[in-house]
Amino acid sequence: MSWSGSCESFTDDTLTSMPEDIAEVYRTTYRALVRFLYRKVWDAERAEDLAQEAFARALIHKPESARGWLFIVAANMARDDARRAARERRHLTLLTAEPQESTSATDEALEVESDRARVQAALDELSPRDREVLLLWDSGLSYEEIAAQTGLARGAIGTTLSRARRRLVQAYEAGKAGEHVARG
Amino acid sequence: MSHVDDGTLHAYLDGELAPAEAQGVDAHLAQCPACRARVQEERALITRAGELLALAAPPERELPPFRAGDVRPLKRLWWQVRLPLAWAATVVLALGIGSYLGSGSRAVTDRSVAEPLADRSRELVAPDTPARLMPYRTAAEPRVAKRAAAPPATPAPTAREEVDRVAPERKAIVAAAAPAPTPQAGIAMFEDGLLLQGSPISVDSARALLGAAPFSVQGAPIRAIYQTREIGYAAVVIVEQALDSNTLINVVNRRPSALALEVVVTGAATADSRADSVGALERASRARAQVASSLAAKPSAPPIRDETRNRPLRRVGTLEVHISGPLPSDSLQKLLQHVQPVKP
Repeated sequence: MSWSGSCESFTDDTLTSMPEDIAEVYRTTYRALVRFLYRKVWDAERAEDLAQEAFARALIHKPESARGWLFIVAANMARDDARRAARERRHLTLLTAEPQESTSATDEALEVESDRARVQAALDELSPRDREVLLLWDSGLSYEEIAAQTGLARGAIGTTLSRARRRLVQAYEAGKAGEHVARG
Repeated sequence: MSHVDDGTLHAYLDGELAPAEAQGVDAHLAQCPACRARVQEERALITRAGELLALAAPPERELPPFRAGDVRPLKRLWWQVRLPLAWAATVVLALGIGSYLGSGSRAVTDRSVAEPLADRSRELVAPDTPARLMPYRTAAEPRVAKRAAAPPATPAPTAREEVDRVAPERKAIVAAAAPAPTPQAGIAMFEDGLLLQGSPISVDSARALLGAAPFSVQGAPIRAIYQTREIGYAAVVIVEQALDSNTLINVVNRRPSALALEVVVTGAATADSRADSVGALERASRARAQVASSLAAKPSAPPIRDETRNRPLRRVGTLEVHISGPLPSDSLQKLLQHVQPVKP
C-alpha cells in the first residue's frame, strides 16, 4: 500500500491501488450495501462502518463474485452486530454515560422518522426469508444472485418477492390505521 | 394457457423471466382481461413496496473514498473492549479485597502511600465525590475510583520499586490499575503516559465520532487513523502521520464527553473555587486517562507515546488536539499550530 503526498492523494492512491474489479464493485454497490445494512441495524453510521468493513474483507479474501459475497458477509455482520448490541444493552443499560442530545426536531424530520419507524415495524412482520429476499432485491441483486445467496430455487424468488411485497404494504397500512385508532 | 401465478407475474414485471417464459406471459395477457388487470395491481404493489423501502433508507451521502486504513487486520473495536474492561475491573477489585483481607500489616503500610492520594483527590474535587469524577461509562471506572482511594493491591516487587520513585498520586494509580502479572504495562505508563491504539477507521467514521473533521498536520502523509477510548472523552481519534521515513507522529483528537464536562463544572463550583482548580481538574482527568489506558493494556497492543505530563494542547472548537512523537516539545508545539481539519 503506497502512501504519499497529502490526504487527498492518500485517498486517491488507495482507490487506485484496489483491484479494479473491487474498486468498480465499490463504486456501484457501496450505497446499496449501506442501505441493505441500514435496514438491518437501523443506524446510518453503523451501516456505513459495516459496509466499509465488508469491503475491507473483500479486499483480503478476493471473492470471485464480489457483489453477492459482500451481501452475504454484510448480512452475517449485521446479525452478529444485532446480537452484540442486544448483549451490550443487557449489560450496560445502567451505565450509559452520554446523555441523549436534545435535538429540537422539526415537524418534517419527525414525520420522516415516524415513516421510517413504520416501515421498520412492517419489515419486522415479514418472515426472515421474505425480508431477506426483499431487501436483496431492493439492493439491486438479480434473481440469480438472490437465489445463490439464500439457497432458494431461482423459480421461487418471484413467489417469495410477491408475498414479501404484499405483506410489507399490508403491514405498513395496518400499522398506520392502528395508530389512527390508537389516537382516537 | 392457465392464468399467470403471482410469482411469475412479479418475475415478469421485474424483468427476470427467461425470454421464452416472458413470451408465454405476453400471449396469455393478450387474451385474458383478468390477468391484465392483475398486472396493473401487481405493478402498483411493486411500486408501493419500493416506495416504502425508500422511506427506510439512510440519508443519502456522497460515496466516501475507500480507505486503506480499513484494510488493516481488524482489531477489537471499542465497543468490544467495554465488557472485558468491566471484567478487568472486577478482577482488580477482587484482588484488592483479597490482599486487603489477607495482609493486614501490608495494608497499613500501604495506607500511608494511599493516604496522600486520598488527600489530593479531596483537593481536586469536592469532598465525598471522588467516585463521581468518573464518568459512568463502564462498570470499570467507578470501581477503580474507589480502589484508588482504598489500600492498593500488592504490585509485583519490581513495580513497587519503580512506584516509589514517582509521585504519590501515580503510585496509587499503578497499584490500583496494574494487575500483578503485567506490571510492565503499568510502569511504562508513568514515563510519559500511554495511549493504546484502537481499531483503524475511515476519515468519515472519525468525523462521525468526533462530530467534526479530525485534525492533522498539513503536508504530512497520513498513515492511518485509529479510534481509541479514553475515560472522560466521548471519542478519541488518532491520526498517524509520517514526517519522514522514520519519524511518525500521532495527532490525537479528543472530544471531551458531555458528562465529564458536567462533572468537572460541578466539581469546580464546589471546590471552594480554588485558584488552581482548573489545573487540578486537568491533573484529575490525566489520572483518569492513565487508569483507563493501563486497564486496557494488553501486551500485544503496541502503545503510542503520549507526553501527558506537559503535553502541548490546543483546543479547536469542541476538540482537544495534541501531538505526540519523537520530537522536542517545542517542535511538537510548532506542529500543533499547523494542524488543519482533514479534508474528505
